[in-house]
Amino acid sequence: MASVGVTGSLLGGIAAALSIGAAAAQGVVGDQSVADEPVAQTEIDGAVTEASATDVADPWEGFNRKMFSAHLFFDDALLIPAAKTYRAATPKVGRRGLRRFLAHIRAPVVFVNDLLQGEIGRAGETLSRFVVNSTIGAGGFADPAAHIGIPAHGEDFGQTLAVWGVGSGPFLFMPLLGPSTARDAFGQFAERGMDPLFYVRTPPADIAGYARAGAGGVSAREQFLDPLAEIEAKSLDYYASFRSFYLQARKREIANGKVDYSDLPDIGDYEEFDELE
Amino acid sequence: MTFSFSRMRRVAAGAAAIICAGMSPALADDAAEAFVAGVLVDANSVFAAPDLAARNAGIETLVDKYVDMDRVARFALGQYVRQATDAQLAEYLPLFRQYATTVYQTMLDPYTGESLVVTDSIDRSERDLIVNSKVVGAKPGSQYADLVVHWRVYRGTDGAQSIVDAGASGVWLAIEQQSTFKSVIANNGGGAAGIDALISDLKKKVAE
Repeated sequence: MASVGVTGSLLGGIAAALSIGAAAAQGVVGDQSVADEPVAQTEIDGAVTEASATDVADPWEGFNRKMFSAHLFFDDALLIPAAKTYRAATPKVGRRGLRRFLAHIRAPVVFVNDLLQGEIGRAGETLSRFVVNSTIGAGGFADPAAHIGIPAHGEDFGQTLAVWGVGSGPFLFMPLLGPSTARDAFGQFAERGMDPLFYVRTPPADIAGYARAGAGGVSAREQFLDPLAEIEAKSLDYYASFRSFYLQARKREIANGKVDYSDLPDIGDYEEFDELE
Repeated sequence: MTFSFSRMRRVAAGAAAIICAGMSPALADDAAEAFVAGVLVDANSVFAAPDLAARNAGIETLVDKYVDMDRVARFALGQYVRQATDAQLAEYLPLFRQYATTVYQTMLDPYTGESLVVTDSIDRSERDLIVNSKVVGAKPGSQYADLVVHWRVYRGTDGAQSIVDAGASGVWLAIEQQSTFKSVIANNGGGAAGIDALISDLKKKVAE
């Protein structure tokens, strides 16, 4: 009931890709990406168990909260005005096209990480999507691949490390880069080497890189204008809410869209709360 | 020898059954699915309400009818629920109901009229069930295409069912609320002082 709207406006968007910072850094946020397919793999199960949304420690909370405050300053001064201007100046379909394009040009990184995770089938999907959307998808601005049954999915090197068994490490928040964990922040840095643009050292390539990062940041922030404003307005502790939503969404992302119900906390100790009945 | 072998077989069969039960939590539960389907029928009519005030009133009615708010409120306190005094709980529980209702109402503002249909269910235990749903007619590649809406259903010893959490694609509201509330309590000295701070924050938020 209540969550019908929650899904549309808030949790759905967050569940799809809350990594605004990562998007800003990488210039990417696709449309809602991962399918709820029952992927049963031991490595992924292990990674998911490890990445329990309620268990990730935040020993750097003091530092993180300072960084979060700094981020909010930049958010109010730069990102939100830019995102609002972008929204006012462009049609919805155009913004969706840009999101798709930004996700499209990330295909090489996704492909490499699919392979590194041993996900041959998903690597094939990434490749197929790239070919289909590069051609009849207007260079990636449209997504005919999704219509023929090849849905988008995201991958990054942090997820690969998780599948390899690397623990998340503490939660980490960096201004403009957004929420992460020690492992995933390292992953973001390391995967720069998977980006073809990294190896082209010419002024036009540099400009393209900056343009992609800027467009990615503004596009991602625009997508989350309403959900984040709602969270900020209603939360008793914006930082804590942000952390929880991010970690929950990230957990499912690492599991390739598979939701793990086994490690949910009990809602109410059933014996203790029997007096409620 | 025969007796022993037979007993071993029974033990092995029992162990296999336990392992299988542990490995396959994805068992459907018709009663929980029917319950959530009923909730969704009610919800759809509320979302068709002509104006925001009527819709918000409808949402409040739905929450009161289907959500076990006391249980969610206690869950949101985490381990601090054991430290809360009766007086604090008496103040906190109705505040939480008000707060959670406004959270739902705010989040529903931009709702665009999609409707949901139940897809499957998982029983974590006989009394702790998850019912999944999806948006009807979502276009491939759209933001709703892969969206899974979860409903956490609690079943009392008398068989009565209620909603205790809702989420989308692995992100749960009550879990976020618990995380946030625990943070507020811990950052205000924990224990009774922290709970007082939480109650004070809730009062301010509800009054906004």
